[in-house]
Amino acid sequence: MEISTPLPTAELVNTSKQFSTGVLALSSVSLSISSGEFVTLLGPSGCGKSTVLRLIAGLELPSSGVLRSPAQQHIQEYATAFVFQEPTLMPWASVFDNVWLPLRLQGSSRDTSCARVDAALKSVGLEDFAHAYPAQLSGGMKMRASIARALITDPKILLMDEPFAALDDFSRHRLNDDLLHWQQERSIATLFVTHNIAEAVFLSSRVLVMGARPGRIIHEVTIDEPYPRRPAFRESMRFVDYCRALATALGHATEQPQQTR
Amino acid sequence: MKRILHKLLPALTLLTFLLLWELGVRWANIPAYTLPTPSVIVLSLIDHWPSLALSWWFTIKITLGALFLACLGGVLIASVFSLSPQIERAFFPIAVVLQVTPIVAIAPLMLIYIESTTAALLLCAWIVAFFPILSNTVTGLRATDRNLVELFRLYRASPWQRLVLLRAPAALPYFLTGLKISGGLSLIGAVTAEMVAGSAGRQTGLASRILEASFRTETPKMFAALALLVLTGVIIFLLFNALSRLLLGGWHSSEQSHTVDHNS
Amino acid sequence: MALRIVQSIFLLGLLLSAAHAQQAVTFATNWKAQAAHGGFYQAVADGTYKKYGLDVTIRQGGPQVNNRPLLPARRIDFLMTGNLLHSFDNVKNGIPVVVVAAMFQKDPQALMAHPGQGYENFAALKNAPTALIAKDGQFTWWQWLKMVHGFKDETLKPYNYNLGPFLAQPKAIQQGYSVAEPIYIQEQGKFKPVVHLLADHGFSTYSTLIEARTETVKNNPDLVQRFVDASVIGWVNFMYGDRSAANALMMKDNPEISLAEIEASVVLMKQQGIVDSGEAQTMGIGAMNAARIQDFFNQMVKAGLYQAKDVDLSKVATTQFVNKQLGIDLKKSLAPK
Repeated sequence: MEISTPLPTAELVNTSKQFSTGVLALSSVSLSISSGEFVTLLGPSGCGKSTVLRLIAGLELPSSGVLRSPAQQHIQEYATAFVFQEPTLMPWASVFDNVWLPLRLQGSSRDTSCARVDAALKSVGLEDFAHAYPAQLSGGMKMRASIARALITDPKILLMDEPFAALDDFSRHRLNDDLLHWQQERSIATLFVTHNIAEAVFLSSRVLVMGARPGRIIHEVTIDEPYPRRPAFRESMRFVDYCRALATALGHATEQPQQTR
Repeated sequence: MKRILHKLLPALTLLTFLLLWELGVRWANIPAYTLPTPSVIVLSLIDHWPSLALSWWFTIKITLGALFLACLGGVLIASVFSLSPQIERAFFPIAVVLQVTPIVAIAPLMLIYIESTTAALLLCAWIVAFFPILSNTVTGLRATDRNLVELFRLYRASPWQRLVLLRAPAALPYFLTGLKISGGLSLIGAVTAEMVAGSAGRQTGLASRILEASFRTETPKMFAALALLVLTGVIIFLLFNALSRLLLGGWHSSEQSHTVDHNS
Repeated sequence: MALRIVQSIFLLGLLLSAAHAQQAVTFATNWKAQAAHGGFYQAVADGTYKKYGLDVTIRQGGPQVNNRPLLPARRIDFLMTGNLLHSFDNVKNGIPVVVVAAMFQKDPQALMAHPGQGYENFAALKNAPTALIAKDGQFTWWQWLKMVHGFKDETLKPYNYNLGPFLAQPKAIQQGYSVAEPIYIQEQGKFKPVVHLLADHGFSTYSTLIEARTETVKNNPDLVQRFVDASVIGWVNFMYGDRSAANALMMKDNPEISLAEIEASVVLMKQQGIVDSGEAQTMGIGAMNAARIQDFFNQMVKAGLYQAKDVDLSKVATTQFVNKQLGIDLKKSLAPK
């Protein structure tokens, strides 16, 4: 009896991306991510992590190779959500209006969307700040609003580009916990980019280590820790081992001599 | 006490200046036809109030009319420019030419070619006023956060949605800066045009009163008209400052005067 | 012959005394150099001012230039003005200046129209759709035209001393000096315009007046007298003698004017009796009388330009320096034999 594996949510097969400037951002990258998975791309700057996200989001087109993603397949409106490194909120709009934006662009009126926006705000803990303006929020709160906006369209895939890099450790840990909670609740395929090893270990089921110049995947580590993950995981020996393994892999990534093609 | 003093500071400075002026002229015995004292000017203002008030109203109408048209023209043209880089490259030089041509030179020509004096004055004031709005709005429309643009792309926003929901609000602070500049300029343009080219009868503003008083050597009246002009400029400035505070106060750094609360 | 010798000795004496004290004097006019300023330029060019012990600098006016405030401000010594309305305004506003001579018995201010457009009659002018009037006129005699002759503000368009708009619109009328603009119009537009002198329709002011500060008149009447006298002599020589030096000087000051234009203008000045007519013929160029000034003021009061109590007429002009028949003999001696 054949066990049919469900199709991955997004997939790259030998995908390359060369920019018009001549820079080869990605060289023959292959990865796949399925529903409910939390995958992290870990690597130094310039290794093409952001480019992978942008390809999957449909903001760039691959130069060669195969790319399958909800955006590329147009299977459902707004099946893709993106969280940038900056909160990227509209400063002139209230938190409510910011979170409402994706639904608004779809054509939903404020009244129709009200319930969903309120629910999204509640789930990220911002229900009291619906009418505040971004300028009045702290960094962590702005990021929560950004995530609420990403989640409001019930996306199939969540792409996050170093979203917590600008936050302090305390806020980052809290948001890590909350992010896992939201992601597990909705079973969204999440592709997360960071260069913080501890964060990668805590959040992901798989970590793909990437090397730079040209961008490619050089190592994959599976984190065999069940969800939900408790804060105590961070203090365990397993955690330290994983971190060490990734650090070694990263060290190799930066040591690798340039592969000329 | 300190707060009250702080609020009244501009008014007190002005009053001191006027007082020094009054006393200085009296002490030096300067004749009124050379430099009148503030008290003489106020008397002249009251004396000639009917004709000055009428002229003041006319100048205000031209100024606000030109400003309104400058907003309309500036924003429209800026929007077109933002939608088509080719059109912008083609026509921006023309806008620059319009900006740098001195009104003093073209105003007389305008009045020759255009039948209606009011229309000619409006046009001259418009030419002076529209460029800052155009230039600032163009910059503002371009200054949108790149990530927000990507976000809108991601959610497949239509060009109209992008303009109304993203670019326009992003451009608002820049537009308001241009507006503040143009407020004063449209007044100057209206006055300069009328001064250089002149007009007669009921269709005349404060500039004509100034000229008339100058030709008839009625110096206090000239200063009175001048005072009204200055007052108009100040009111425009204050008005647009308040508007800017109203529209941007909640969120733009230019209007933030207090520290942001930090709640996590 | 003997007379000649006496005259020469007299002049020599003057020259010698003048060589001692050449007083520097600035005289500002109300336009760029033109034939209507001829007498003053003559007195500079042929040394008449020097003979009277004056080193005169003529400071031109022009389209955007207003020299009038310079006199009370003590930046100039004497000022040329175009009509008595300026003087009434001065007295009304307490400015301490006074008229000391009137070089023109008739104001050459005129309205011009295209021929064959029905403006041959003065009364038709007020119906012109466009009246090109400059700012100076707009705030003075245009008010008189409105009140007394029914002209309307709606027709007024600013005149910027450019003939273009007038030439382009056959139905337009414009202002000008009767002894100047018609010449230019004929040159550029190739037609002879219809000319209506305001003086022929009740605008009875003197013109090309010399103004001085009241303090100068009080403290240094000798200076004023010399300047007036020399100017009168200059005018006589300009109108009736050899004006080539004056013409050259005017063309140097104002390169836009030509010799032909100056000469044509002199002809018109003579024809229209601008300078030397009426009282000037008996009392000398520059003549003034108080009664005429009073009469003109009354008319302006009637026209609503002033209220009688606004102006103390005794302060407007002084006749102490003129009406001395200066120049009459000189004129006779210059007459063609």
